[in-house]
Amino acid sequence: MDLPWTLIWAVLALPLVGSIIQAVMGGRITRNGTDEAGKRLMGFLAVFFVAVPFVIAALLTLRLTNLSPADYPEPLEAFDWIALKSMRIPFELVIDPLSMTMTLIITGIGALIHLYATGYMAKEKDYARFFTYLNLFIAMMLILVLGNNLLMMFIGWEGVGLCSYLLIGFWYKDVANAKAANKAFIVNRIGDWGFCLGMFTLVAFLMANAGQAGIPADLRWFSYDVFLPNCVVLLQQNPGVATAIAIFFFIGAMGKSAQFPLYFWLPDAMAGPTPVSALIHAATMVTAGVFMLNRLHVLFELSPVAMAIVAGIGAFTALFAALIAFGQTDIKKVLAYSTVSQLGFMFIACGVGAFWVGIFHVITHAFFKALLFLGSGAVIASMNHEQDMRRYGNLGKYIKVTAFTMVIGWLAISGLPPLSGFFSKEAILGGALGNQVAVIGDVPVGVIAGWIALAVALLTAGYMTRLTFLTFFGTKEQWRLLPAHEDHHEAHHAEDNSHDHAVHGDHGEDVHGFFFSDKEMATRHAEHEHHHDLTPDHTPKEVYPSMWIPLVVLAVLSVAGGILLNNNHLLQHWLYPHGLTLIPHEAVDGHPKGWVGQYLLLMGIGAGVLGMVWGYFVYRNGLPKDEKDEDSWKPWRRSANAQFGYDSTIMDAGVTGGGMLANLAWWFDSKIVDGLVNGIAGFTGGLGRLFKASQSGYARSYALMMLFGGLAIVLYFVYVANSLGGKV
Amino acid sequence: MEGSNLLLPGYLSVGLFMFIVGVVGVIVRRNPIVIFMCIELMLNAVNLTFLTFARFRPSPALHDVADPQIYMSGQMMVVFVMAVAAAEVAVGLGIIMAIFRLRQNVDVDEMNLLRG
Repeated sequence: MDLPWTLIWAVLALPLVGSIIQAVMGGRITRNGTDEAGKRLMGFLAVFFVAVPFVIAALLTLRLTNLSPADYPEPLEAFDWIALKSMRIPFELVIDPLSMTMTLIITGIGALIHLYATGYMAKEKDYARFFTYLNLFIAMMLILVLGNNLLMMFIGWEGVGLCSYLLIGFWYKDVANAKAANKAFIVNRIGDWGFCLGMFTLVAFLMANAGQAGIPADLRWFSYDVFLPNCVVLLQQNPGVATAIAIFFFIGAMGKSAQFPLYFWLPDAMAGPTPVSALIHAATMVTAGVFMLNRLHVLFELSPVAMAIVAGIGAFTALFAALIAFGQTDIKKVLAYSTVSQLGFMFIACGVGAFWVGIFHVITHAFFKALLFLGSGAVIASMNHEQDMRRYGNLGKYIKVTAFTMVIGWLAISGLPPLSGFFSKEAILGGALGNQVAVIGDVPVGVIAGWIALAVALLTAGYMTRLTFLTFFGTKEQWRLLPAHEDHHEAHHAEDNSHDHAVHGDHGEDVHGFFFSDKEMATRHAEHEHHHDLTPDHTPKEVYPSMWIPLVVLAVLSVAGGILLNNNHLLQHWLYPHGLTLIPHEAVDGHPKGWVGQYLLLMGIGAGVLGMVWGYFVYRNGLPKDEKDEDSWKPWRRSANAQFGYDSTIMDAGVTGGGMLANLAWWFDSKIVDGLVNGIAGFTGGLGRLFKASQSGYARSYALMMLFGGLAIVLYFVYVANSLGGKV
Repeated sequence: MEGSNLLLPGYLSVGLFMFIVGVVGVIVRRNPIVIFMCIELMLNAVNLTFLTFARFRPSPALHDVADPQIYMSGQMMVVFVMAVAAAEVAVGLGIIMAIFRLRQNVDVDEMNLLRG
């Protein structure tokens, strides 16, 4: 069955329609979240408007697989979005392996997570608002990946940022969530700044050199199929410009994909509901940077320096975040840092020129990280919203499906063959250790990044084993050891600044009653104490089927995804950039020479197994004594918990530094600028006061003055006439 | 010229007298109607002066001009002044009426809204 390509518009439009329906009718149908049947209907619609695009996209992809690259469809234009005399930016979509792969991930994983969310958010009042945002996110993400020019990517880029902001701050009445949302948005703006600069530099450069590369016949300067071939011609002679453009775009990727130094919004983003963490902050949005690097791979390939920087930053981020993960006690925070670390892996792959491997890891990571996040959501739901892993233990006995699927996720991320994570991680290690591309001077940055990645693979297996054993295994059920009504909120808060009581009320005067007042906050906490809090006699219950079915599907994908995609280098041939590639194929084929190549497989598996064995011996009996409360923590764990001081340093520097800058600007404005304006006003005012007395308001005194004036004029003429000898 | 120059100082004196009466009236009186009358007096004094000079002292520079109408420039000016004066009175009386309706009083010394 050959579907027409134009159906891709339906893929894009359906989630948007879904979002509008949720927004316009959701409140009425769910009666503001009180009507269960209405909620079920809206939940069904939310899933429907993502699942149908998935089916269409899958069929289109099937059709695409049967074609040779030369027969791929032309970009589909809908209308001219911006039409200038010298430039035209149509609203156009591209159908190629990369965009369709991403579309399948977004709609496929997206539909599963929507399904999960219908269960997870079942008790939520703002049910329709949640799905409005979630559907809108899918639509924006699709624009990002399907758009055929940089500006369309930018619409999506900003759109997903907006949805991320809205969803992190979904429970906006808690000021900590609102702050996390702001942080995510603001840090992302820094990345967007890089994206914009890259775009401007690129097009300005192309236009300035139009004499050499030619003006595109249809003036589509921003379209990939137009500017990428031109770049190959032009940028090869200008490596400096190529490096600048590539680094600008990479700054954009850093912001969206949470790479050092802009990673620190992602852990805070866990303030959002768990399905959001799974969908946006693990599986899709944060991989937008990797997608962008793939889309613009030509620009990066033209600059070995930029490639090396990408690989280096990726490796550092992977290591840094993996170390921090050991110091976290919140189950979602561990997964957040794990995500940052895995994104680092993807950037290593892109940096060493193995762009398709980056997408491969995006896919497998989407499987197992979405699985882990959704699993953690199920754990949190079954444990009365307790997120501290130190209160778990032996949960495998109670929530069997969740435990079983999460164990699969754990094995997959640890890189145990033949699960999906193994294949992509192996491909990354092979690509990095064997590459000759990412080099600055004589320093083989790419190869070093490969060795770091190997070490991080060990760490990954370590902290994931810690998470799994603390949660599901061990003999002690830690929450049963809680003294009744112990105020462990305090302990929880002390470790996690973002939920500190002191932070509350930190939002200035709240005239509109937007946030919880102190009193409301106190009642809310009291409610927690009585109804929501974990008590020693709590028995965890398995979650609804709508929540564990996606877990099972994702678990199956996590197991089989790698084998299927790597079979006969399926994904490699499918995704390998054709036509424009500059890096020779054999430079990134993932087979390092010499002993490294021989033992690569062994080293990769060994790192994972070693990490798991270490984790097993440390955590087999549950929570070790020295991790129980922070006082007994080792110094390194405490500093890992505090992100080695990076977050607080940069936030302090940003906030106080920004405050000082603002103060300086305020001083300049109030003293210099206002002083100038007030000075001029004062001067004229004084002058006016001086002559004010003459304006008495008496008409007759004016008349007298006119008389004197008239006399003076007459006398002057008489004088002039006399001095001329009376001749006039 | 053909007329007797003896009468020239007399006409001018009358004009000057009328003008001075007008000026003094404008300055000393407080009733705007009287002030208007004094203004009219001044205007007419100037008109008289125009006519006097037009009659007795045609501009020497205009002697060579063939067009005889040019000799009428003084008289023309008087017609203009009369027209402008009429317009001015219409506007002025309108303002006075408006002020009177507003304040039931037209003493110019009490109309000091424009005081600085």
